[in-house]
Amino acid sequence: MNLAWRDIRHRLGRFLGISLGLSLLFTVVLAMAGIYQGLVEDATSLARAMRADLWLVQRDTYGPFADSSRIDPTVEWRAAAVPGVTGARAYTYQVLQRSQGKGQARFALVGLAWPEDRGQGLHLVAGRELAQAHGEMVVDVSLGIGVGEQLQLAEEPYTVVGLTRGVLTTGGDPAAFMTIADAQLVLLDTAPDAVQAERVRRQERFRSAELGHAQPVLADLLVDPRWKPPVLATPSVHAVLVNVDTPEHLAAVRKIIASWPDVSVFSQSEQEDLLVLGVVEKARMQLGMFAVILVLTSSVVFAVILYNMTMDKTHTIAMLRLIGSPARRIVGMVVQQAWLLGLLAYALAVGIGMFAFPHFPRRVVMTDGIQWAGLGLVMLVSTLSSVLGIRYAMNVDAGKVLEG
Amino acid sequence: MEAARAIGIRKSFGSGDTEVQALRGVDLTLETGKMVALLGPSGAGKSTLIKALGLVSLPQQGSILMRGKAVVADGRAQADLAELRRHYLGFVFQKANLVPFLTARQNVEIAAEIGGAPAPRRRALELLESLGLSHRADAWPDTLSGGEQQRVAIARALANHPTLILADEPTAALDRERGRSVMELLRQVAREHGAAVLVVTHDQRALDVFDSLYNMEDGQIVAEPVA
Repeated sequence: MNLAWRDIRHRLGRFLGISLGLSLLFTVVLAMAGIYQGLVEDATSLARAMRADLWLVQRDTYGPFADSSRIDPTVEWRAAAVPGVTGARAYTYQVLQRSQGKGQARFALVGLAWPEDRGQGLHLVAGRELAQAHGEMVVDVSLGIGVGEQLQLAEEPYTVVGLTRGVLTTGGDPAAFMTIADAQLVLLDTAPDAVQAERVRRQERFRSAELGHAQPVLADLLVDPRWKPPVLATPSVHAVLVNVDTPEHLAAVRKIIASWPDVSVFSQSEQEDLLVLGVVEKARMQLGMFAVILVLTSSVVFAVILYNMTMDKTHTIAMLRLIGSPARRIVGMVVQQAWLLGLLAYALAVGIGMFAFPHFPRRVVMTDGIQWAGLGLVMLVSTLSSVLGIRYAMNVDAGKVLEG
Repeated sequence: MEAARAIGIRKSFGSGDTEVQALRGVDLTLETGKMVALLGPSGAGKSTLIKALGLVSLPQQGSILMRGKAVVADGRAQADLAELRRHYLGFVFQKANLVPFLTARQNVEIAAEIGGAPAPRRRALELLESLGLSHRADAWPDTLSGGEQQRVAIARALANHPTLILADEPTAALDRERGRSVMELLRQVAREHGAAVLVVTHDQRALDVFDSLYNMEDGQIVAEPVA
């Protein structure tokens, strides 16, 4: 006869109430783990979305997500010429905050090397990739702008043509993709007078160059900042992304590029590790320590609950001991109740989490690993917490029953 | 036939000036199928004797035999006490002490299960039927009357085929009629189940149902059994 189950069934309401209370604690523990996982996934999602084999960044910096990496755009052509390289693309990255409707929109503006990179590597959940060099963008759904809607940036409208999901910055802000030329227009957004002055300066510099003397008519093209005359300096980019034909060539390509004096090279996984370790490490430790405190708190609360539940059964335990019940039956009753309580509370916590976590401002990612580890932890905590109850039960004097 | 015997059992509490001699060399023999009353004022040592015979609190000196076999020799248990209790003893108390989350049948069944009955459920139903409680088998303890609870407690005490049933003030919480009915039931089970029954009681109204009466005072049995 299973005494644990019969006791629970007899006082089901109380048991469910206790389980619900415990489940709220477990929900917070799960949330901590899920927020941490979300941080890691958010931190790496943007880098992963670019599907590069190598990241070329400014020498002795860690790349656009960690530093203000600036490299000459010609690195793109140099990299493309390395044997084994199938593609090299310039890349810019900048976090912006702009007015959007009545509120503020904060997002990372990623520049793609048009026309080689139109965002075809992005996993789109709606719409299409970029189809023209100017005025289009792909954004993450979390920005809250749908396909066909427009965002006003640097005095110009940009139409959303595609949506990604879960492509975010380490800060949890959504990413927006447009051509590098457009991105630089937005990043270098200056007042019209200043633009005009710079345009005049560019024309003067161009005319004073040999090309300007030979073909003065080309100076008219300088009104379009996307036209880059070879005699003028072009704005730097933040990184160059390189893809290699086969994994076997990766090391050789890397060795060649690493010998260049102006760039540092990171593999895709190294760039992801840098993001996790460099950008979210402190948040990870903070969450980790908070989670440890919560687990300890849950254990103490759990132990006290079990102790009280066992104390409530003092007379029953004394009775069982008096009629000669083996210790294992009494221990079994306490441990089984601990397990049932832990399992029910955990199931409720997972249920509450599934309902509540999507409404959290930061992404809470509940992987199978987290859920299995959580279950294991709950079973461990249940077992350890029952020790207090078992100790009490084993010290109950059978003679207590005779005392009335 | 001898069911249980206490030989020269002594028990004291405290030490030095505060030492209290609760049992001063008690000798007692209990026969199979007989019901014996243990009378005496409070503090006479009745509960201490019940605890000693119930193998709950062992005497410091003396021996206890069950069916002729020494289970306590010179104050030392000869086997695991819990095992001895489930093998030889049944208990009935002032309050029924039923497990609140088990039905009447389950309260008896758990005792039968612990006592090693091959078919505990059947054993429980048989006992409840023999005590006229089969119609209340699925009732929860808090829905049973005081008399019904005591009858379930008696069924539970019988579940392991005990050699000795120890009953401590089993009628104290019952009215006269129900109290007498419980005493008669105990005598009936002593006869039918072949157990010795030792009842500690202050209830003078049902002494006629006992086979023998012992009187205790100052840790000793001072009066010979009255048949």
